Amino acid sequence: MAATTEATGHRSAWRIAGKGIPVKDAREKVTGSLKYAVDLEVQGMVHGKILRSPHAHARIVSIDTTRAEALPGVLGVVTHHDTPQNVWENAWFNYRGKILDGIARFHGDDMAAVAAVSEDVAEAALELIDVEYEILDAVFDPEAAMLPEAPQIREEGNLRDPYVVKWGDVAKGADEADFIVETEIRFASQQMAPLGRNACIAEWNGDRVTLWTSSQTPSELRDGIHEAFGIPLSRVRVIALPSGSSFGNWWSANFMLITALLARKVRKPVKIELSNEECMATVKRRHIEISRGRMGCRNDGTLTLAEFDHIIDNGGYGFKDDVGFFCVDNWGRAEHGHYAIHGVNTNLLTAGCMRAVGDVTLGSVVERVADMCAIRLGMDPVEFRLKNQIKPGERLRMQHSRQYMKGSLEQYLDGIPEEQRQEWPKLFHLSSGSTDEILRKGAEAFDWSSKWKGWGVPYAVDGPRRRAVGVGTGAHVCGVEFEGNVSAVARINPDGSAKVHCAVGRQGQGSETTQAQVAAEELGIPFDKVEIETGDTDSCPWSHGSLASNTMYRVGWATRAAANDAKRQLLEIAGREFFDSPRHELDVVDGVIYSKDPNKRNIRITVEEALNHFRGTDALGQASSITGRPQGPMPPASTFARHFAAHFADVEVDIETGEIRLLDFLATQDSGTIMNPQVMKNQMIGGAICGAGFAIYEALSFDDDGRILNANLLDYKLLRAADFPLRGDVIYGDSYDPVGPFGARSAGEAPAAASGPAIAQAVYNAVGTWVDMPMTPENVVTALDAVH
Amino acid sequence: MICMTVNGRAFDLDAKPHERLCDLLRRALGLHGVRVSCSEGECGSCTVIMDGEPVTSCLVLAMQAEGREIVTIEGLGNEDNLHPIQEAFIEEQGFQCAFCTPGFIMAAKAFLDENPDPTEAEAAMAMSGNICRCGAYPYIVKSVMNAAARLREGGSVSNTG
Repeated sequence: MAATTEATGHRSAWRIAGKGIPVKDAREKVTGSLKYAVDLEVQGMVHGKILRSPHAHARIVSIDTTRAEALPGVLGVVTHHDTPQNVWENAWFNYRGKILDGIARFHGDDMAAVAAVSEDVAEAALELIDVEYEILDAVFDPEAAMLPEAPQIREEGNLRDPYVVKWGDVAKGADEADFIVETEIRFASQQMAPLGRNACIAEWNGDRVTLWTSSQTPSELRDGIHEAFGIPLSRVRVIALPSGSSFGNWWSANFMLITALLARKVRKPVKIELSNEECMATVKRRHIEISRGRMGCRNDGTLTLAEFDHIIDNGGYGFKDDVGFFCVDNWGRAEHGHYAIHGVNTNLLTAGCMRAVGDVTLGSVVERVADMCAIRLGMDPVEFRLKNQIKPGERLRMQHSRQYMKGSLEQYLDGIPEEQRQEWPKLFHLSSGSTDEILRKGAEAFDWSSKWKGWGVPYAVDGPRRRAVGVGTGAHVCGVEFEGNVSAVARINPDGSAKVHCAVGRQGQGSETTQAQVAAEELGIPFDKVEIETGDTDSCPWSHGSLASNTMYRVGWATRAAANDAKRQLLEIAGREFFDSPRHELDVVDGVIYSKDPNKRNIRITVEEALNHFRGTDALGQASSITGRPQGPMPPASTFARHFAAHFADVEVDIETGEIRLLDFLATQDSGTIMNPQVMKNQMIGGAICGAGFAIYEALSFDDDGRILNANLLDYKLLRAADFPLRGDVIYGDSYDPVGPFGARSAGEAPAAASGPAIAQAVYNAVGTWVDMPMTPENVVTALDAVH
Repeated sequence: MICMTVNGRAFDLDAKPHERLCDLLRRALGLHGVRVSCSEGECGSCTVIMDGEPVTSCLVLAMQAEGREIVTIEGLGNEDNLHPIQEAFIEEQGFQCAFCTPGFIMAAKAFLDENPDPTEAEAAMAMSGNICRCGAYPYIVKSVMNAAARLREGGSVSNTG
């Protein structure tokens, strides 16, 4: 298979894959001409505003819209009385509910909406809707919400079935250990704080609807409209526009469905544009997570036991029972263990997948407990990681109970062809890559061995200021097969250019560029002649979108497979028409078809010439353009790919003020082939900064009624340019994935998981105690006071 | 009626009494490179240059711009004729989603007009009035340093920038 024929050595022959090409939309981005959903208008459009609940948990007893409807300029109002009573869900159960059902499950929940000639009129009309609420008991603490007597927030109850993975024998793992360490961490909720806001325009033509919005997940939004309105998929078109920084906020969101509902009611295109506060207080956030971790270890540093119990609060509409445990798998060499997740609803803003879901939080606990083992041993944390972290081909733990993705494990195995079952890597084993190489390379480049002075020992002390280093690792999945497999379509045009359609949206990470690199390399067509459509569901086949680090690995696989199929057709016809050769004797480079047969070296046909020739002669009509698509499903081994990050942080902590400064930071990553190093470095450093924000700054603050107090960028603090080390160099691992396109895996989430643990460990080494995240000055001083 | 010069051309514009400069520029002139995010002067996305000074246009009332000279990202360069700062941001990949990029570039323009030969630390501090949620900061600062070098070497400065 691919891995044997395409060794890493072939990388030097690539013309486009692996090159640091500027992103395709760079000029639009630096001139401000790139259009986001907030910039879009359509002819005849009116404006919508959403009425929001002033209570965290309440039921509408009566709602009277008469006064609002009478306001000049108002075109219509929708309430739960106008709403189809179908439940819609978005991917990974980030949302499950009806569009409106007359119940408020969090402060700011959607209750009704107004369409009017202007935003000002719509806003004024909201004040004129008379609502009588029955206030219900609310619960905000995840553990309290798990109790049987807690107010139940959903028809299905607050608690999801526990998601449990067990391996080996926990009692044996404890017996084999020379010592056991354990801890519990309670995390705050991070907000995506999506700079850029969002808007949605919906327009109905008869019984067909079109939505324009900024989304990472166009296919999934189409599915949601189909479910909620009960109309065929063929009547739903989503055109996903670029989003600002999303981090998971802009999948499909209920405000988009409300826009469609309003537009259907008033029979005009309606635009709902969210304010910054609405973006931060009414869409989604990272779960509040409470995690208990326990590890058993031998005196030689071998882990024998890994146990994690983890609670996630889903807020009002999340429905997740699982956040993944890729960071636990990273330490899965322990022969015995278990992992359990408990999903529970609270009357807080809906929680869902934010960048590196689970691995930012649970990963921090796993890294903490592992560090506690290394502290006990007096072992260097780099060495402890090298010794205990998973290597390629080794057993993964999590798939034991991943059966629900495709029925039972047996069904999963039954569903795939025999030859694929035999493929390397074996199922349930890590496909390729690890932290091994990047930890070694990173430690050397960071001069770790001279800066590391031992656990709890700073390398420099200057008055109240302590300086120390830390290392952290993170891992995340490379997409998951969930609700369907990805696909792509590649089309070669008569002029020799090509267009690939793949529904990944554009959240700014450069997917349209890296997908174009995959397609151009496979097709042999120059990069600047390959364009990508990522957002129109009328032309793009179904895809999960750019979430769960799907994009390079899974969608890239589909893009390459589609391009390969188009190329196969091209060469078949060219072989017949020009070369009198079978297709395998031909290839395309730089848009020119040639024969590998030395006797036919003088024949050179451009793709454009070939397509134009076919236009006149091809009786089958297959060559006015050529359309390729994947000729089979992605190999099942794809489920067992991970991407890995190892980060090194140098920090200064002022023990009087509690202030933490990041002095130096090195990010390293194993993502297989790096499709575009320019894109990659931004994903790595951007991820590191996202994780650093979680570690030292960011936390939503809720009042006693569950209202978010800091849903704005003044009170919710984000890192700025002077807050993060300016060193921008990064280090890549050299692994090659057997399944991913040109050996590539995914990129964007492991770095968000690795930086927090690195900074937390560095702070520990500076001050000799662990500090709760976010490690604000207040939390640093509190932790120091507790010790002294 | 408000009279102002925008990107080198004079305009007489009707504005609502409470209208913000950012909204007027977007609504009346279609200048969508003026991005609006936080609406409280924190994120810097809506930064434009007014009489040579960078301002967050969400905190400026349209009528305060009467008689002023405004430069937005659209006045700095266009896709066929980039300003050296824009070229530098492309070379250093000083962005991801780029919602914030026009604001950063306008802040960089005002900064480099004042300080054409900055240190990295000065550039980082100058860029700290803006937020990039994607976290491209090290590359934004490198973009500013790259731009400074281009401008010192007499990079072609065209248009009204």
